[in-house]
Amino acid sequence: MSDLVRTVDSPQEITDAVQPLRAAALERAVAPAQVIEILERWGEALKGPALEAIPGVAFLKLWMRRGTLEPIVVRELGSGGLRGEWQDERGTRLRVFPLGVVGHWPAGNIEIQPVLSLSCALLGGNACLVRVPGGLLEETRAIIEKLREADPRATLTARILTVSFEHERTDLQRAMAAAVDGAMIWGGTEAVTQIRALPFPHWARFAIFGPRLSVAAMDGASWSGPDRDSWCRRIARDVWQFDQQACSSPQTLFLERRSGADVAEFVELLSEAFKTENRLHPRPTIHPALTSAICLARASWILGDRAHRAVFPATPDWTILLGEDRPMPAPTQGHTLYVLVVDSLLQAIERFDGTVQTLGLAISDAAREAALAHAAGEKGVDRIVKLGRMHVFGSPWDGTDMIRPMVRLVRHQPSSAD
Amino acid sequence: MSALLVDIHEQIDALLAAPTYTLEPAEHHSRVLAVLQAELTYAAERSGQYGQYLDAWPVDYRAATGIADLPYLPVGALKANPPLALAPPEKLIRTLTSSATTGQTPSRVALDAETSKRMIKGVTTIVSDFIGPKRRPYLVIDGPATLAGQGELGARGAAIQGLRPFATDVVCCLNGDSSGRLEIDEDKLFAFAEKWRNCEVLAYGFTYVVWQHLVVPLRARGIRLEMPNIRLLHSGGWKRLQDQAVTRAAFAAGCAAVFGCAESRVVDFYGMVENVGVIYPDCDRGYKHVPAFADVIVRDPLTLRPVAAGREGLVQVCSTLPTSFPGFLLLTDDIAEVIRYDGCPCGRRGMSFRFVKRVPKTELRGCGNIETTRQRPPADQAINV
Repeated sequence: MSDLVRTVDSPQEITDAVQPLRAAALERAVAPAQVIEILERWGEALKGPALEAIPGVAFLKLWMRRGTLEPIVVRELGSGGLRGEWQDERGTRLRVFPLGVVGHWPAGNIEIQPVLSLSCALLGGNACLVRVPGGLLEETRAIIEKLREADPRATLTARILTVSFEHERTDLQRAMAAAVDGAMIWGGTEAVTQIRALPFPHWARFAIFGPRLSVAAMDGASWSGPDRDSWCRRIARDVWQFDQQACSSPQTLFLERRSGADVAEFVELLSEAFKTENRLHPRPTIHPALTSAICLARASWILGDRAHRAVFPATPDWTILLGEDRPMPAPTQGHTLYVLVVDSLLQAIERFDGTVQTLGLAISDAAREAALAHAAGEKGVDRIVKLGRMHVFGSPWDGTDMIRPMVRLVRHQPSSAD
Repeated sequence: MSALLVDIHEQIDALLAAPTYTLEPAEHHSRVLAVLQAELTYAAERSGQYGQYLDAWPVDYRAATGIADLPYLPVGALKANPPLALAPPEKLIRTLTSSATTGQTPSRVALDAETSKRMIKGVTTIVSDFIGPKRRPYLVIDGPATLAGQGELGARGAAIQGLRPFATDVVCCLNGDSSGRLEIDEDKLFAFAEKWRNCEVLAYGFTYVVWQHLVVPLRARGIRLEMPNIRLLHSGGWKRLQDQAVTRAAFAAGCAAVFGCAESRVVDFYGMVENVGVIYPDCDRGYKHVPAFADVIVRDPLTLRPVAAGREGLVQVCSTLPTSFPGFLLLTDDIAEVIRYDGCPCGRRGMSFRFVKRVPKTELRGCGNIETTRQRPPADQAINV
């Protein structure tokens, strides 16, 4: 891993580079406990202003903690999974083996996604071939550089190859697909569809994290109660992370109507929270198309319905678009939050169509929250979390385990058994 | 007609009568600002929803001291159908539509008689400054079908019509077949060239139409029209030509070769249907200028504040001319560079700028980019495997 992200230009380079990776994965077993130890050191090494300025690094550090990962490994791979040993299960022995080399196609909009993705496959004992999107090279290099400090014996380093090439280089995409035993694919519709169509070997396993959006919801007691300031800060935090472009970013906030409570007051508090968050985390750059989209969303919202209201500054920094119960608007992103006042959160959830990945909640009554979570699960929502924690990466994600899809579970029924 | 509207009309007429490009910049700014503020008040009276938009704006337009502080609409807001209108329906005489490419929704601009007249006056005033006021034979590099249509007129048709006040004899030199494909009407073209060979002639066409349907076929056959006194104006997107790797210089050289004129007689202008009555021809230094009755602001996409000279940003066009629809202040999807805020060597006062490109389509925005829902088609449309 002398060059942290290797620029490749020919299919043969990929084919040749994969051989030592596969050998590392299949010939030198590494137990999840050992991987966790190194990941934890890696997470601790992600310090300093430059690294901490990378969006999502705080989540990555949280993810790499032993306290986060051990329970996940135990849940997904069984109680003995941490040690990577054979486990007895009613007279049968089970053991986890790596698939071999797992290819990773992270999305171009989440800076930490290449490392999140490869960490899951490493926990299964695999080697990783990662295509780093062009826009994430600098951040990925900075994060991976810290693995060298955390992994002096190159236990994990020898299992990782990060590569860079143009998305349009179909020959290289095909070579990468042909070389791997499993694939973790993240991104929008077009990207996911194109990558799935590549010539993977017939035994390749897939974990696909396609496009989703997320929403937030609050009951009347929460948005009008004494903690509403705190809830507003949590919403602002969820909106700001990843510039609201992640699948776990809230695009719409549902407020359940409460008699006597003033939505305008809440929106005022929310706008204060947005101003504060913007002061703390101003955008360094913006794509002009996003600026156009934000301006158009503001105008279309107000001109589209006399009941609509909007609060926004003269800059494109943030926007709150307030309206009544209606179909969920298409996301604008760029710190643009649609706030819809509804008679019933349950009815709003029942209109979800499967695109919602995460539902961030602020509900004062636990039994009611359980009922809403159940309804959300039925309507395709895969994560239901407290507001302010919408981006905390964990397993399961998108309704699927993170480690188990990239391992083989080998069953041994001893011949001596009855 | 309300007293406010009468007052607005008078102020617009005064600006149209003012020197087109030689007003002192501070005077220009204060006069345009005053008209725009009055127009916004009028628009808020005419449209409750537009008034609501003005109310949501973070700066009160009535107290604004700069045009840059006034509430602008993104040009996409004019894609509404029925179009956003300030004039009562019975007063509307025509709807202009923008040149949306396949699959896109065009902008729709509702014109009443007053706005329509001012649109012609605006274009006439600007073009006169570049080519003089004289009327002359007019070669339309397009088909007659582009000018047809009663209530609705597309961007190409509107641009062609906008130059009609300069025309004596009008000849369309292309023909369209039923599929919309254009080809040269050789009889008309050669007769026109022969008849007006050494005269001052005006020609206009959309940039890609001129290139693809006239210059390329004539050049392939080695035909040169020998019209040294032609003035060829062209406008419209460059994207199709960029896709064919045709540069601006190559375009001018190609046109000059086919018409047998100097390259300086080929003039590109920037304009859009939504910015009625205002076009921005290149001066002899290759820059675009703002007439007395309009303004342009180039905004930093990050802050939406006006950029300094030498910087690029999103183009906002401002026009005092429309009163039938809220097209006074429009943020476009174009990027331009401000060359300077005054002092172009061509002698025109005020800001000069250079069109750079359309805002590129946003890149795929990853895992949060929802383009389709997860709803499956009904069972009767499902694919059986």
